[in-house]
Amino acid sequence: MANSDNEILAVLRDGYRRVFVEEWSVTTGGILIGIMSVVSFAWARPWGVVGGLRVWGDWLFYAVGLYAERPPSAWLDTNSVITLGLLWGSFAASLLARQFAIRVPPRLELVKGLVGGTLLGIGSALAGGCNVGGFYSAISALSLSGFAMMAGLLAGAWVGLKYLYWEMEHFPSAQAETPAAGKGGLDWNPAKPWLGWALLLAGLAVNELYKARGYVVEGGVLLCGIAFGIILVRSRFCFARSFREPFMTGEAKVTQTVVLSLMISVLGFAVLKWGGLRSELSYVAPNFGLGGLVGGFIFGFGMLMTGGCGSGTAWRAAEGQVKLMVALVMFTLVNSLTKAVLGAFPAVQALVGTRVFLPDYLGYRGAVLLIFLVLVLWYLAADWNERTDRLVVEM
Amino acid sequence: MEAITPDQVLDCRGLSCPMPMLKLKKALSGLQSGQVLQMMGTDPGTRNDIEKGVKKIGSELVGSKDEEGFTSYYVRKM
Repeated sequence: MANSDNEILAVLRDGYRRVFVEEWSVTTGGILIGIMSVVSFAWARPWGVVGGLRVWGDWLFYAVGLYAERPPSAWLDTNSVITLGLLWGSFAASLLARQFAIRVPPRLELVKGLVGGTLLGIGSALAGGCNVGGFYSAISALSLSGFAMMAGLLAGAWVGLKYLYWEMEHFPSAQAETPAAGKGGLDWNPAKPWLGWALLLAGLAVNELYKARGYVVEGGVLLCGIAFGIILVRSRFCFARSFREPFMTGEAKVTQTVVLSLMISVLGFAVLKWGGLRSELSYVAPNFGLGGLVGGFIFGFGMLMTGGCGSGTAWRAAEGQVKLMVALVMFTLVNSLTKAVLGAFPAVQALVGTRVFLPDYLGYRGAVLLIFLVLVLWYLAADWNERTDRLVVEM
Repeated sequence: MEAITPDQVLDCRGLSCPMPMLKLKKALSGLQSGQVLQMMGTDPGTRNDIEKGVKKIGSELVGSKDEEGFTSYYVRKM
């Protein structure tokens, strides 16, 4: 009997470790993101990141008197709530795995965080969203602007990688000038998982608070955001890798996982829109054109400087990476300012692009088939490149 | 882990993805076959990146050690 109890305990311990401590496979992460993307849209709205950051940026500039118009409530606007949830879930997940630690990089990396975050802000404003809203959710929403941004991201990532190689040749010895994380002081490692659990329980409590105040939808959006945060940290899922790795190492895995994830999300969105359950124009941004392409390029370059895409920057900041915290702040402020500038100059806004909802031209079935065709081609191209290294940029 | 004496030490503490792998690749290119590089890192993703990516750059991970505030990875050039 004692042996049987020990075995049950061992199974529970192993299970806990596999779910909350060990890294999940990137495929698991991609599949879960695809599913959550559909769940989030079915519940209330597609997944996005920079929309929430912009609400916070708008509030800061409104508070200092730069903006005249009062922004929407940060507690009720679903853009803000889903991004808050992402940071919340990421922080909790990194605590559970004892991975949270304040990591201070060398000065050059901090400068790259500042510049990279600025580029993320500008790029996402032009493209109608970051890698999530402007690429992933846009394609899921059957919007052609998602592919315009995708083309820009590929080009920007390629140039960004060339820049990193140039930087390593000319600034080779950038070492940390401040003590690395964890040296000296109180060891709070044992407390981290307890704090992580407390955060998750607090998330449930806040969800209950939303419900009690009559904001059931917003409360659910918070839980969706928390789920995204947990999945991203546990699988260390980063869209930047899907664009970077084929050029850097030839590895196809992350790219192919994004394809798989997108296929799940596209199917789900198509069903929800075609079935009349969700608005057809949801996340179909007027950015098919220069906005998507140029914005994607700037964002792609920024991703390589920062070391994270929009969602990647957020979850790595929540993990304690100071460079990414700096990038996240710049991303927030600059996106808000860039959107304000675009809004103030309609002639410039008009250059950004047009709204192209693929089913308007191809029907739903044709739109889904075309998107799948493009995704399969991307999958195969990544496979070919992994075998041949033809697109790998030599150091 | 048995004590390994590295031929070169690479300090990537404080650096986040993709810099540790890029610097590792560059440092390994300067080593001779059979030599061992010790890379110190703080990014939690580095372990997985090295385990999965090191073969592609003609090397093998021969050990790792958790130190105070960072992890040392020992990579041998093939």
